[in-house]
This record gives sequence, structure tokens and C-alpha cells, in this order.
Amino acid sequence: MHSPMEQFEIKRLLDLKIGGLDVSFTNSSLWMIIAVILATGVFVVGMRQRALVPGRLQSVAELGYEFIAGMVRDNVGDQGKKYFPFILTLFIFILFANVLGMVPYSFTPTSHIVVTFAMALFVFVGVTLIGFARHGLHFLSLFVPKGVPFVLLLLLVPIEIISYFIRPFSLSIRLFANMLAGHTMLKVFGGFVVMLGIIGGWAPLAFIVVFTGLELLIAFLQAYVFAILTCLYLNDSIHLHH
Amino acid sequence: MRIPVYSALAGGLVAFAVCGTAAAKPAGMPQLDYHSFAPQLVWLVIAFVALYLVMSKLAVPAISDTLDKRQAKIQYDLDAAEKANEATRAQVAAYQKQLADAREEARGLLRGQAEADSGLAAARFTELADRLNGRIAEAEKRIAGQRDVVMAGLEQMASEIAQSAYAKLAGQPADASVLGTKVAAAAKETSR
Repeated sequence: MHSPMEQFEIKRLLDLKIGGLDVSFTNSSLWMIIAVILATGVFVVGMRQRALVPGRLQSVAELGYEFIAGMVRDNVGDQGKKYFPFILTLFIFILFANVLGMVPYSFTPTSHIVVTFAMALFVFVGVTLIGFARHGLHFLSLFVPKGVPFVLLLLLVPIEIISYFIRPFSLSIRLFANMLAGHTMLKVFGGFVVMLGIIGGWAPLAFIVVFTGLELLIAFLQAYVFAILTCLYLNDSIHLHH
Repeated sequence: MRIPVYSALAGGLVAFAVCGTAAAKPAGMPQLDYHSFAPQLVWLVIAFVALYLVMSKLAVPAISDTLDKRQAKIQYDLDAAEKANEATRAQVAAYQKQLADAREEARGLLRGQAEADSGLAAARFTELADRLNGRIAEAEKRIAGQRDVVMAGLEQMASEIAQSAYAKLAGQPADASVLGTKVAAAAKETSR
């Protein structure tokens, strides 16, 4: 019986080293590249005709574009336009990585904390820099809630600061843990199907079918949550709590 | 707040996953194998930057351009439809005005014709009445003339009858002029 964690192992497909840095092409790299190629296929090949009446693939590309454009517009406003390509990329990358992870024998790059944490940290550092660049030291007023008595501030400001610095962790662990838990659960129940065999294996198999649907929903939902939280953090940096 | 709830949930899931792994494989989670961090991060950067370039340089301009064009086309079509609608409305209004004018004109013509007809009839009636009156007057004049002649004859006859009656009664011929005036006076009295 294989361990349910075996599916998360990084396998080096091509050992590469540049100046002591391990840059091996792994199964994770492979599926990241596949995600990028497929996303490029939808968004560039799909948009090649630039038809006024879109075909199927172009409709998908436009749907994704308008979905994220609406999200940025509603949550950040006009100043968010500059960051729209980044948020679109973030959403599409996570979405494709998550959904491709549902393909049997594939690999889910977003099930690794180091990948999700790198993205979350980039967002965190990015919005913090944007905040300081836009407001200077006034950006620190983000930690001071308005209209609160001084005594309460002594309590609230540390809480605000802690919750601010927790953001990259909550953002990365949410995505990573959802992918990890979902895939582990599927694997565990897959194991039950084999263990119970032809007689009792139908019940976990039915569960797997239902749970696969739920996992597809979660794959989308986590990409959406990551993108919308990025929008909200960006909004905080640009508008300082309105 | 949503974030603490999510965090708690995520933390619970991690704890569950870690416990599960610890039970299944003491070696630990593949996610915590720091030897695999460098290649993952390097390829994450490569893949993400590649996708970002594709999105920002190719996809976003293409899509926004297409959406703008579509919006412009829809707006143009809407404007054209609005214009056509206005033109139609103006034409309908012009047509209805023409119709109303024509109706008014027809009514006027009818009224003029009726007036003319009635005027002509009145004129004819007057003419006829005049002609009839003329003939009546003429006839009366003729009757009056004949009556005068008859009356004159009657006077002559009366005077002759008076002369002969006087001659028979008096036995001598009467003075014609005296008798004549007396007869005339008597005739005048009776005719009155």
C-alpha cells in the first residue's frame, strides 16, 4: 500500500545545477510549465481571431478576463488597473495548477507550502511596498483604527500589526492545506476501495466520485480566494481602510 | 472577520495532514523536505514570469482591445438604431400631418361646393320668382286693360240704353251729353 503522501513527492526528472543552486527540472516544474502552456493556449490562441462574436475558447478567455477585471474594479477601484495583469496571472496560474492537479497521476504544484508561501510573500511584500510608496509613513495609520479611545488602542494596535503580518501565512497555508487535504483524502479513500475490494469498495468509490466534484469546486474556489484576498490587501495599501 | 476563521480552518487541516503523515510515514511530509525548495522556487519564478509576460503583453491587450471594439460596435449599432427610429418617427409624423391636411382640404372643398350649390339654387329660385312675378304683373296689366275696355263698352252701352229708355219714357230724344255724364257718375258709384 502506497502512502497517501507519496503523491506529493518531488521527483527530479532532470538534474540541473547552476553555480551550486539546484535548479533540477522536477515533476512540479513539469506541471507548472504545462499549466502555463495551457493557459497560454486559452488566452493567446483563443484570442487569436479577436472576433467580435467570440467562439468557445475566446469566450472562456474573455470570461476569465472579465471575472478578474470585475473583481479588481469592485475591490480596488480604478487605481487597481495597473495591478490587474498580475492578479489575472496569479488567478490563472493557481487555477490551472489546482485543476490540473485533479488529473490522475499528475502533480499539484500548489500542494507545496514553499510554492504557495513564495506567492503569498511576494503579494505581502508587494502590497506593503505599494502602501509605503503611496502614503509614506502615513501608511502606518493602517494599524490604528479610527475613533477608538487611546486605552483600547494599546490593545488594538498590536492586534492589527499581528493580523497584518499573519497575512502571508494565512494566505499560503489556506491554499496549500486545501490542496493537501483534498488530495490526501482522495488517496485515503482510494486505498479503502482497494482494501474493501469488490464487495464493500462501492461505498468509498461513490464517496470519491462526489468528493472529486467537491475538489474541483475547491480548486476554483481557492484560486478565487487567493486572488480576491490579494485585491483586498492591495485595496488596504492604496486606500488605507475606507 | 473571515480571515481568522479561514486561518483556524487551515491550521486544523495542516495539523490533520501532519498527523496523518506522521502515522503513515515517519520520514515526514515531502512538503517539508527543504532540498526540494530551491528547484521548486526557481521553476515557480520561471513559470510565473513567463505567464505574466504572456498575460500582460499578449492576452490582456488582445482581450481589452476586443472588448472595446465590441462595445464600440454595440454602441454604434444602438446609435444607428436610435437614429433610424427617430427618422421613422419623423416620417410617420409627416405622413400623419399630410393625411390630416388632405382630410381638412377635402372637408373644405366639400363645404365650398355645398355653399356654391346652395347659392346657385337660391339665385335660380330668385330668377324664377322674378320671371313668374313679371308674368303675373303682365297678366294683371292685360286683365286691367281689358276690363277698362269692357268697362268703356259697358258705359257706352249703358248710355245708349239710357238714351233709348229716356226717349221711350219722355217721348223726346235726350240731351246726349247730360245723360252721358250722369251715366258715367252712376257707373263710377256702382263700381266702387
